[in-house]
Amino acid sequence: MAELGDRVNVMGPQPIAGRTPVPPAMIAAAERVLALLAAGDATGLAAMAAPSGVNDLAELAAAATDAGARGGAPERCEIIAAARVNYHYYVKGRIHRARAEPFTMQFRLGEDDGRWTIREVQNLSGRRSAWTR
Amino acid sequence: MQRMIAVDKLARPDTHILVPLERMFQARVDQGFSPTNVMPHEEDFLKGRLHGIAAGEMQAMEAAGRTLFDFPDAPWEFQLDMARQVWDESRHAEIFIKLLDYVGSYLGEFPESEVLWSCTQVDDPACRVAGINRGLEGLACDVFEQIIRLAQKMGDPVIERAVDYVLADEITHVRMGSKWMRKLTEGDPERLRQAQAFQDNIDSLFNFQGARTTQDEAPQVPVEVGGRAIDFDATLTIAREARMLAGFSDEEIDRLLKAASRSAAY
Repeated sequence: MAELGDRVNVMGPQPIAGRTPVPPAMIAAAERVLALLAAGDATGLAAMAAPSGVNDLAELAAAATDAGARGGAPERCEIIAAARVNYHYYVKGRIHRARAEPFTMQFRLGEDDGRWTIREVQNLSGRRSAWTR
Repeated sequence: MQRMIAVDKLARPDTHILVPLERMFQARVDQGFSPTNVMPHEEDFLKGRLHGIAAGEMQAMEAAGRTLFDFPDAPWEFQLDMARQVWDESRHAEIFIKLLDYVGSYLGEFPESEVLWSCTQVDDPACRVAGINRGLEGLACDVFEQIIRLAQKMGDPVIERAVDYVLADEITHVRMGSKWMRKLTEGDPERLRQAQAFQDNIDSLFNFQGARTTQDEAPQVPVEVGGRAIDFDATLTIAREARMLAGFSDEEIDRLLKAASRSAAY
């Protein structure tokens, strides 16, 4: 039988380039951000901010802490999606608590000298509902 | 169902990342790139550009569908044209999603901005078709012509033919827009002026602060795509020939070029 090669889809042309892997270190940093938000650790979050500073980070931390006060201990955190702009990644994350609506946020991470830091944040909880449905 | 859906109310799956355009610009500036758009000389240009188009096709599909729904009193032939455009754009979205796979990307690898949808924010069907069909679909002619030339240089018939097929449709959408902009404003020069002004705003939004040239004037830079090194445009070009096929006049194209270079002075 003729050698057909590793054809993922025999009905169409094969990809001309491979996928760009999502850096595991970025995922680890995103998970750390979510854990710090869930714990209401504003100092830890500030330490992960880019040296230039991040607007709204304190506001996001306060909102997450407030959600924690109303909703009880965090049950789990999840990364819902990640998308990149060149080499920076936007991450959408969510913190679930037993007695409150999930707390949803989006933040951008960028890497310098092997360290992923927060570049911007956006609280999506209770906002842009149709986008996040 | 609600008419005139606001920019921040367009539904997307939860796993989809939406980022306002100005934030995306800042993300690019923070990394030392020009703010506006992924350029041919950047790594992963094809992935980024095709992703932007796939998202744009979805928003174009939604825009045509919304135009059909938002203006129930518009002429029946207008509604038929919009329905046809929904069908066209849905095919285009599928084509570009398949092309993403072809170049090693996937829907969701990059964020989507709501900027194209923001061009629907007007409650007159004449303005709507001027903005969407003439402004945005005119931009699509430019973008697609450039990708076709890139694919030709790469020697890649898959991208070349797929995008050429889509471009043929876009040209009909521009013509459709020109026809309805004129028909809907017949005997009402003020309404025509408003529709043209709305389109001018959109053209100005997408001249990318002067980062556009003609095909002949585009500086050539080395690019590596599809495993091959080639020289290609460093800017987003304006496709005179495709725009003329779509029914834009020489004067309109010259005005667009002049506006693009005027912005560069800022």
